[in-house]
Amino acid sequence: MSVLDTIRTAIHSLRANPLRSILSMLGIIIGVAAVVSVVSIGTGGQQQVLANIGQLGSNLITVMPRVPRGTAGRVQQDVRSMFTVAMAEDMERLLPDVINVVPVVTTRGRLVAGGVNVQATLVGVTSPYTEVMNYRVADGRFISEWDVSAQQPVIVLGAELAKDLFEDADPVGQEIIAVVGNRRQVLRVVGVMEPRGQAMGGDLDSQAYLPVSTMMDRIMKTRSVSYFAAQARGSERAAEAVAQVEFFLRRRLGSTDYFRVISQDQILETMSAVTQTLSLMLGGIAGISLVVGGIGIMNIMLVSVTERTREIGIRKALGAKRRTILFQFLVEAVTLSALGGVLGLALGWVGARVIGYIGGWPGVVTAGSVAVALGFSTAVGLFFGIYPAMKASRLDPVQALSFE
Amino acid sequence: MAVMFAAREVRKVYDMGTVQVHALRGVSFEIEQGEMVAIMGPSGSGKSTLMQIMGALDKPTGGAVFLDGEDITTAPDDRLAEIRNRKIGFVFQQFNLLPRLTAVENVELPLMYAGVGRAERRRRAIELLERVGLGHRLHHRPNELSGGQKQRVAIARALANNPAVILADEPTGALDSRTGAEIMALLKELHAQGNTVVIVTHDREIASHAERIIHIRDGLIVEDERLSAGRKKPYTAGDGPSGQGGSGAAS
Repeated sequence: MSVLDTIRTAIHSLRANPLRSILSMLGIIIGVAAVVSVVSIGTGGQQQVLANIGQLGSNLITVMPRVPRGTAGRVQQDVRSMFTVAMAEDMERLLPDVINVVPVVTTRGRLVAGGVNVQATLVGVTSPYTEVMNYRVADGRFISEWDVSAQQPVIVLGAELAKDLFEDADPVGQEIIAVVGNRRQVLRVVGVMEPRGQAMGGDLDSQAYLPVSTMMDRIMKTRSVSYFAAQARGSERAAEAVAQVEFFLRRRLGSTDYFRVISQDQILETMSAVTQTLSLMLGGIAGISLVVGGIGIMNIMLVSVTERTREIGIRKALGAKRRTILFQFLVEAVTLSALGGVLGLALGWVGARVIGYIGGWPGVVTAGSVAVALGFSTAVGLFFGIYPAMKASRLDPVQALSFE
Repeated sequence: MAVMFAAREVRKVYDMGTVQVHALRGVSFEIEQGEMVAIMGPSGSGKSTLMQIMGALDKPTGGAVFLDGEDITTAPDDRLAEIRNRKIGFVFQQFNLLPRLTAVENVELPLMYAGVGRAERRRRAIELLERVGLGHRLHHRPNELSGGQKQRVAIARALANNPAVILADEPTGALDSRTGAEIMALLKELHAQGNTVVIVTHDREIASHAERIIHIRDGLIVEDERLSAGRKKPYTAGDGPSGQGGSGAAS
């Protein structure tokens, strides 16, 4: 008996009972749909996170202060006070693979323009900041070197912030008042940034940028810097750049306990590891439903073998060998599960699109998840189909023929 | 004439846990090619067990059965399936057609298991159905056919692979007497065309269509009666499982 005949026979049997066939496929359909959409959510989410990180800037190196383990809050202040503008200048001058070291000072404050009053994050930076962050001015200009050296009272607004303060009017050239604590500073708007959207570390569009010197000396009256943002000379020099920064700061601060250097590569690696683990975990949970679906198919196949005992007896009397019967029932089980896999894939694809639409990322159904879904559902059919098929093939023809 | 069936001291014991049922207690006979033989006995006589063993559906507890010279009591399962497929054509009391298949598809089944191609299968199945007078019912399902028509489909199916022997188990048992007579006429016609036909029945009337009746009772052959030649040959051999008995048909 040819393979094609066996498959034809199996499909004929399944079509004789369409409702039951569909119901027994349901478990697999749901299982595969769950796996496909969950993996798609994971992949889509991951792509979005990676795109966000990529937006941060090219070859970005961030140097953050760190509290030594087991110390109290006061020490944190000491450590923070160790980061200075002079250190930024020294790093840029001395470290061969590090360029554009920007000392960054951040604080929360209020911005007042006319009658409008908005809470914002004020960020003190130097002029290379736009280059380091891969960020552009949409209107006017950014903080210049002269603004920094002369402590100019100027400010560049994030896109959202500019809209909040001035609505449709042109903010460039306007005067606003920054209120931080009990200090007030009149500032002149010199530029508006391009819209950037949500990114790692907050909404850049509702931040405002000032010369770091203006921030430190006029507004905050501080000598310490919040963190450094710098760039490696090239992506292939990123590791050396990180090592040089670490070497420099260890010499200056005495210990690596006081700071942490994070390169973009590291963030990318960590984030992909996290999202990958997450989608693997969710996919695994969804995979359990595949196993449950397989058990459903086994159950139906066992019922079917019992119901069709007489048919099996007749087939054996007419010359069907054990393996012919085995193969027939196995093909039925695999057809059920594989067809369930295809339907589940379609359902999962729709689910991925819908969830992607809601979540705002592309509903990606990768070739990998298609292969895994179909492969697994077929394997589930094989695994759970083999026992009922063996049971059918081992029936004694005399007993099977006398079965009512 | 070549010997088609040779049964030698065939015994069958069913182990029912505490009780052992001796269905066959040492049965020996021979059936020659082209014969039409009835195996007759009351229910519980062991005639169905004998038919199952002759049909390679079951194996005896002792003794041997040769079909066309091949011992079908020691052959492996796959070989038995081949023997059932190629050498035996079954006709059952309850027809045993697959209800979801059409007449022509039912007849195709043994051909499919024999590995005959699809087009050839269909051609031969149609030919066989025409031969049993059902050329106009090819695509009907069993529930759309009368009892007699069902049995004709079953006979066409039994003939599919040109079997060495047709084994009919109470072929008229589920039919009214008129239809039963038609089926018997068909079987006789097949016999006239040279087929070996073995009919298992409890009905003297049915058995009398054969040339020879092997009477079986309590697991033993009690009489081997020849009809068409006009001579009745009493079964004279030993009636126990031991000894040289059970060679009644050998001559």
